Amino acid sequence: MTCQPKGLCGGKGLLTLKEGAWANNPLAIQVLGICSALAVTNRLENSLVMGAALIFVCVGSNLLVSLLRKVTPYRFRMIAEVAIIATFVIVFDLFLRAFYWDMSKQLGPYVGLIITNCIVMGRAEAFALQNPPILSIVDGIANGLGYAVVLAIIGLFRELLGAGEILGYKVLSAQWYTPNQLMILAPGAFFALGIVIGIFNWIKGPEPEEKK
Amino acid sequence: MKNNIYTLFYAGVLGTVCSLLLTAVASFTAPYQQANKEAEKNKNILGVLQVPYPAESSSQELVKIFEDNVRLEKKGELEMYRYVPPKDSGNQETVAVGFEGPGLWGPVKGFLALDKDMRTIRGVTFYEQEETPGLGGEIAAGWFREQFIGKSIVDQAGNPGIIISSSEGEAPNKVDAISGATMTCDKVQAMLNEAISSVVEEKQ
Repeated sequence: MTCQPKGLCGGKGLLTLKEGAWANNPLAIQVLGICSALAVTNRLENSLVMGAALIFVCVGSNLLVSLLRKVTPYRFRMIAEVAIIATFVIVFDLFLRAFYWDMSKQLGPYVGLIITNCIVMGRAEAFALQNPPILSIVDGIANGLGYAVVLAIIGLFRELLGAGEILGYKVLSAQWYTPNQLMILAPGAFFALGIVIGIFNWIKGPEPEEKK
Repeated sequence: MKNNIYTLFYAGVLGTVCSLLLTAVASFTAPYQQANKEAEKNKNILGVLQVPYPAESSSQELVKIFEDNVRLEKKGELEMYRYVPPKDSGNQETVAVGFEGPGLWGPVKGFLALDKDMRTIRGVTFYEQEETPGLGGEIAAGWFREQFIGKSIVDQAGNPGIIISSSEGEAPNKVDAISGATMTCDKVQAMLNEAISSVVEEKQ
């Protein structure tokens, strides 16, 4: 797997980016890491910060796991991955607490729970262990972005329908729109995620082997 | 054998590097976190005591307003923050006591404000909580906290205690619980009652 001079890793970078963010979107196609996607998406701002957290952690852990892939003992790899992921998550959480206090209060335990997010662990295990660092960074960005975009879509609609607001600004006037509390609560998250997954799969079309 | 030693060595190095990094970041951010917590606490005491303060106050301004208006009184174990407003302001004298206890995910801390009679609730606020956003986290939301205003800290028979319950019926010391957050509500009820009983004890 040597990088060709043409393009980013000989076109592999673009492929990886497309794969992670679209064709194999961790949330909409693989349906991974939906716990946090359901929990924090009641406001767009929360969704954006959570997406940023995942991009940061995915990129950081993919890079380190990839750099260490040749010196990490095989049977110790998972412990090493979790230690690396946990370090990045806690660093992000500490910065959030120091400089973005209000958001840190809103997100509560969910930032810390990124440690157990299967997307991050999955990318480290399935991609970063076999691929060079630059490509692993691209993969981290792609998957983090895939997660962040879906989260932002869900957050946008839940906040809009549930509170009539976008990023805290009143958009739908209370005179003719009664905010639907259901969208803020847990069931609204399931509806929104289900619809987004449905639309993603509908646009993407069936898997090649299913076409027969 | 050689493999085992290498694995142990690798684990040791990785663990050390990770913990050094975390220690560095934690000690770098510690003063900011501390300042945030302090400002948050002052703001909550001012809010629950209904001391007027400008919305865009900086942390230093908040500290000054706090020191000018609020007196800390200690009676035994009980710490009370008393706000005696200027006579012409029309504000009422209010007393706040802190409460804290374990929530569902982490510690919950807040203040309970009472009228001068030490019986009627003037407000409740939570300045630290990590409950589930949208469910238990709603304890910090306005609609839940506003329910407490005007409630009594004793029941009709005079026994101290507040009830957070979704059962039917009205009572002077009962507020509605949050659907889907029974655990959080029960724990909040317990910590409020602990504070209430110490207030009632102190009054006698």
